[in-house]
Amino acid sequence: MSKKSRSKIWFLVHSWLALPIWFFVLIVCVTGTLAVVSQEIVWLANPDIRASKPTGDAQPLSYDQIVKAIKQAEPQTLVDSIRTPDEAHFALTVGVNYPDGRSVDVYVNPYTGVIQGVSPQFNFQAFTRALHGWWLVPFTNGYSWGWYLVSLLGLPMLASLVTGLVVYKKFWKGFLKPTLRLRHGARIFWGDFHRLSGIWSIWFIAVISITGTWFLIEAILSDNQITLSSEPIVPVIARENVPTSADGSPAPMIGVDEAIRIATQQISGFEVGFVMLPSNAYSHMFIGGRGWYPLMYQTANLNPYSGSVDTTHLLSHRSALEFVTESMRPLHTGDFGGIWIKLLWFFFGLLLSMMVLSGLLIWTKRTALATAAALKRSNKAPRPALAPRPIAALHSDTPEGNL
Amino acid sequence: MSKTDNPMPVSPLRQFWLKWRFHLNILLLLIPLGFMPKYFADAALARGDSGLGEREVGEVQVGPWSLRLAELRNEAPQLQGPAGYMKGFNAALCDACIDQVKATYLRIGKPRSLRAAGVIFFGTPYRMGASLPVAEKTKADAELWITMEGWDGSMHQAAIPLGQASPATLAWLNKQGGKP
Repeated sequence: MSKKSRSKIWFLVHSWLALPIWFFVLIVCVTGTLAVVSQEIVWLANPDIRASKPTGDAQPLSYDQIVKAIKQAEPQTLVDSIRTPDEAHFALTVGVNYPDGRSVDVYVNPYTGVIQGVSPQFNFQAFTRALHGWWLVPFTNGYSWGWYLVSLLGLPMLASLVTGLVVYKKFWKGFLKPTLRLRHGARIFWGDFHRLSGIWSIWFIAVISITGTWFLIEAILSDNQITLSSEPIVPVIARENVPTSADGSPAPMIGVDEAIRIATQQISGFEVGFVMLPSNAYSHMFIGGRGWYPLMYQTANLNPYSGSVDTTHLLSHRSALEFVTESMRPLHTGDFGGIWIKLLWFFFGLLLSMMVLSGLLIWTKRTALATAAALKRSNKAPRPALAPRPIAALHSDTPEGNL
Repeated sequence: MSKTDNPMPVSPLRQFWLKWRFHLNILLLLIPLGFMPKYFADAALARGDSGLGEREVGEVQVGPWSLRLAELRNEAPQLQGPAGYMKGFNAALCDACIDQVKATYLRIGKPRSLRAAGVIFFGTPYRMGASLPVAEKTKADAELWITMEGWDGSMHQAAIPLGQASPATLAWLNKQGGKP
């Protein structure tokens, strides 16, 4: 096969990779882009979630003080978890249970302990993630088929990147001589745009498609009961280690602050970002946070009666493979280094969405015309060999037109 | 440029594909639209906005205590991979027993001891959940046993017919026809 026809095939593959499902791909890209900054969008829309300082020198309260403040404001409310968001401008997310049986998150001011509001019924963050992540298809037995549907897109996306780079000859020259012709018509503009944003997004498309493909692999492994995790399976606290009391009142537990003190004392470099209180008399207090490697969490289970650290899952316990696999999710979501990384992911997410759109626009302006012309010809095929030379489907003033 | 450039006659199958291929997008978009009501119903159920569960079983007296029992979903047990068929129940403790009850358990058939009381409920006394394994060969007249353990070491039990706790599970068992 000649070099020329080989690159034509590459080009065809590139053009057709996402096409019949282009709108699906576009919506997945757009919802993913929104999901990256969903927390920030909620922050803009809902004042309850903002952590405003009452005074300039206000210090954040400890978790025990938060629990106490909630107890004081709403004596009936039971706290089951406290989470400190990564960015200081967000209020604490506290999981609570009300006597009427509702189990919701409330937003608590980290400086005053004031319950600023209950999370709304429509959880924008969860919704965009569910739409992007599994197309809202419910999980029943194992992973939802919507998860497979979305994560399968990682493969054509990776193929688009590779074929795009093969087709775009000497693409590295595009870095030195960026071209974006505005006055030569829509076709030229979108072509330039597609190539220019493409080369600057190489790293991002690679990250998103590889991590996306990992989500597919993860689902396949999990649905076949294969685990790569070194996380310990935590047995419940043994019956003999849970005290009884003669008067029938609940056995006293250590406070959250005490648990954090014990854990940070015993485990060097342990930082706490969340606490989950024991969910029954035989379960542990679960605390965790990010370590020196910001993409992964370290966790510990403490006996809430004795304060003993029963199990830990630390960075040092992870295998090299786990460092790779556990990094996949934060790399995909951009949720590992604060607002600036999120904004970077958001920007390139937009660019990637625009690439789907510009790819389609280029296609409609070129391939669709050619296809329509070809169909028209073939419908009139019986006509003798006078058929005109095929209409030039490619523009000769664009790089891919000169294949 | 594209394969259709050649002036060969187009097969009906290919013509069908060419005509309808972009409608795949519409089909794909209908999926989340179709699941949206279920998504929001599930979210409300998880928050407890729509009650303790999809179907309330009612108040069950267990010795001096009582609890409100509900089926998380009004449906047959669901296959959960290697764990087998599981059925979710939710419960809320009576106001007076919140500080007295240490743990609550569920089991099909009478437990021989406290150590074999069954699956334990997780959560707060206002809303806790347990996932009960239901063997496919469970007899239709089986009973659901609730065991409650006090902080003082006391233990109280009560049983209700499985068919009362979950008619959907009973129907499912009957449909199996005592499959081995």
